Amino acid sequence: METGFDPIIGALNTSLNVRQLNQNVISSNIANADTPGYRAKVVDFEAALREVLRSDQSIAQVETQPGHRAKHATDPVHIQINEDQNAVASLDGNTVDRAGEMVKLAQNQLLYDASAEMLKRKLGMLKYAIAEGGGNR
Amino acid sequence: MDLFSSMRVSASGLDVQTKRMNTISSNIANAETTRGAGPGSGPYRRKDPVIAAEVDRESFGAVLQNRLDQDVQGVSVVDIAEDERAPRMVYNPHHPDANAEGYVAMPNVNPVEEMANMISAQRSYEANVTALNAAKSMAQKALEIGR
Repeated sequence: METGFDPIIGALNTSLNVRQLNQNVISSNIANADTPGYRAKVVDFEAALREVLRSDQSIAQVETQPGHRAKHATDPVHIQINEDQNAVASLDGNTVDRAGEMVKLAQNQLLYDASAEMLKRKLGMLKYAIAEGGGNR
Repeated sequence: MDLFSSMRVSASGLDVQTKRMNTISSNIANAETTRGAGPGSGPYRRKDPVIAAEVDRESFGAVLQNRLDQDVQGVSVVDIAEDERAPRMVYNPHHPDANAEGYVAMPNVNPVEEMANMISAQRSYEANVTALNAAKSMAQKALEIGR
């Protein structure tokens, strides 16, 4: 997403979207923990984010000249949902690791909250600048 | 694809675990039931819910047939199956349901098995509640952005 203000805002936005998708997949796994033959699914978050950061060079690159900006796209990310290859199937063919899913759930929630908090502060700083330092952050 | 679809999926999980708990209570309550409603219906047979994954149909993305949404699956009870195991035969010649040899056909319910299933259903229910609360608090956190 092109925000025009700060490339980090776009990256945080993407991070929130991917975390949200991850939350959906994890809750789907937990709901199907007793479904015979269900295969646990995983979102490769790191790979997805890496792809975004690769496409958004402005985050990785140092700007040497004003107006010299690399491609600025936090393009729609191509996210892969895969079946968990490392999972061990139980007798009914189900590959959901309940404890593992609960850990992923907590982790995903914390990282979502962290991204949301950072986005909030980024926007707060923008607001502060717009109000010429007068507005409350 | 939003956090509400996560909540719907968790809710479907809660629903399935509730139904599972219902069949377990039915099995335990009828562990000694030797006859059904109709004449000659025989002893109670153990019931088992058949659980299957389903695509979250209510989401907007399902209308668009979004590839990602197809991987987010809810769950539902598609059938209540009867356990085909043979009834337990107990020698009790004075029982009205005893056969010619004096044996009574008792339900094929194993209380220990039911208790283990009950604990499993309870834990799964709790896991779904946790997932639901996580989605809720994430949505609340998102509302705070820009405040």
